[in-house]
Amino acid sequence: MADTLAVPGGSGARTLAAGDPEEAAGAATGTGPPGPAPASTRGDAPTADDRATNFFRVAAGTRFPALARPALLLRRTAALALLAALWEVLPRIGVVDRVFAPPLSEVLVAWYDLLVGGQLVEHFQASLIRSLSGFALAIALTIPLGLAIGWYRPVADFLSPVLELFRNTSAVALLPVFILIFGLGEPSKIIFVFYACAWPILLNTISGVRTVEPLLVKSARSMGLGPFRLFQKVILPAAVPTVFTGIRLAGAYSILVLLFAEMVGAKAGLGYLIQDAQFSFRIPDMYAGIITISVLGLLFNLLLVTVERRFSTWRTTS
Amino acid sequence: MTVTPTLTETRTHGRAENPTEDPAENRAEVQAKIGIRDVGKVFRIRGADRPFTAVDGVDLDVRDGEFLTLVGPSGCGKSTLLDLIAGLTAPTTGRILIDGRAVTGPGLDRGIVFQQYALFPWRTALANIEFGLEAKAVPKKERRERARHYLDLVGLTGFEHRYPHELSGGMRQRVAIARSLAFDPDVLLMDEPFAALDAQTRESLQEELLRIWEKTSKTIVFITHGIDEAVYLGQRVAVMTSRPGRIKKVIDIEFDSREGDLRADPRFGAYRHEIWTLLRDEVAAAQEQERTIG
Repeated sequence: MADTLAVPGGSGARTLAAGDPEEAAGAATGTGPPGPAPASTRGDAPTADDRATNFFRVAAGTRFPALARPALLLRRTAALALLAALWEVLPRIGVVDRVFAPPLSEVLVAWYDLLVGGQLVEHFQASLIRSLSGFALAIALTIPLGLAIGWYRPVADFLSPVLELFRNTSAVALLPVFILIFGLGEPSKIIFVFYACAWPILLNTISGVRTVEPLLVKSARSMGLGPFRLFQKVILPAAVPTVFTGIRLAGAYSILVLLFAEMVGAKAGLGYLIQDAQFSFRIPDMYAGIITISVLGLLFNLLLVTVERRFSTWRTTS
Repeated sequence: MTVTPTLTETRTHGRAENPTEDPAENRAEVQAKIGIRDVGKVFRIRGADRPFTAVDGVDLDVRDGEFLTLVGPSGCGKSTLLDLIAGLTAPTTGRILIDGRAVTGPGLDRGIVFQQYALFPWRTALANIEFGLEAKAVPKKERRERARHYLDLVGLTGFEHRYPHELSGGMRQRVAIARSLAFDPDVLLMDEPFAALDAQTRESLQEELLRIWEKTSKTIVFITHGIDEAVYLGQRVAVMTSRPGRIKKVIDIEFDSREGDLRADPRFGAYRHEIWTLLRDEVAAAQEQERTIG
């Protein structure tokens, strides 16, 4: 029997080497543990969703090691540097009209002036509060709704037709309605962001609950778990990664759609800044606003990807 | 043809040194651990005009502490039978008894080990083993201790905090076995647990399962499609017919000694051949069925 015990230990060490973070690249290309087993469980089969998630995950995962490897860092920043250079040079040599597209350095100076003058902070804050409010509202309201729809068939049957209808109604089409009902102030913008953020969270939550591996449910049921415990101990944890995919998508939307609302009717916010700068022909200010919103979106997404990774480490299968 | 094994049949301890035992002694044993009485299961399938009969008229007794293996052609309802014993589905006809009491639903007196492990991927090996203990409301400290104990039993000491995706197939199945043992069920139901493993891992797990069985004296019902595995592990091998599944014959497996390479024993070959012959016709019948149904 001693021999038997030695064998699994040995094979285990090999397997873990393959699962080691250092070897993650190898594992991803199929150097998994020996035997056909790992790939055969349903949970390992990547869906389109998984693949999208993994893409972001890989991108985020390599961002930090990249700093340690100059060649990779160079490759990753080359395109950005090229873009910056073109932006600087093309207006100066007159290929593009520098009135409509001022060189990057002028934009950066304008950005700095806006920062020092306090306007940027004011607009940034206004936008961030609206985005985060709508986003948080969407998380708080749609996750429970999605869980209910995914778990209780009658709720799904009752709500599905209405949801299908609204799902296919663009948030932009509804903005005038929101303004009519909630006025031009903050509520209409927050509701607008909420509406846009609700869908990815809702749909991913429903799918997260519905696509829980049936064998896990069966296994838990065989251990005598009732419906409530089953939901709490199996359905919820199993759905977490899918729900987070929805949250990450919603995070991106929260910033993208807000801009539109702020351009239609607002007295503050980055969307207003961009629109106002264009109307009053402060072109560098306009670009400064655009850059700010891009960076904000980028940072927000990065934050959410990091959170998502923390909550779904177990899903990083080969 | 259905052969119902009765308790008055000569009972042999396959693993024991003394294969001869007084049959009269066994009459004192009144009740089987698992009693399957004329059990049938019919499924209604959407879109099909005829209902689907998975198993029909199954009669089988499993003794307390016995290791019974169940073989049959694919699609004969082996897994359905296991689900029925587990209480995951209710029989359409007949009754299933555990210690003489009818099964009404799943319970922690029976543990299942699935071919695909069914481990919770967000839980570590240790937390997976604790799962059944949580359902049983065992206090946290004791849970931890018991989980560790069973992790040691399956030879995975040191892998407590690994997630399932960090373990090989064989190790995952060890965790699954430990999880089922941890809440201390009387009966272990195993549905082709080693089918997805490579030959070497399978053999070592078979040996370990026998060791664990001897140590814990559980009643084990083990489904397999491997005749060798059935003969090697089982004290008795129940052979099922093609669909609708019935018990065709139950064969007692007796070896003089289990020392050395059991598979090289001439009796091993004889048992193997007997089961193979029984199955051959059923497999042909099952294939014929599949063709006609399309």
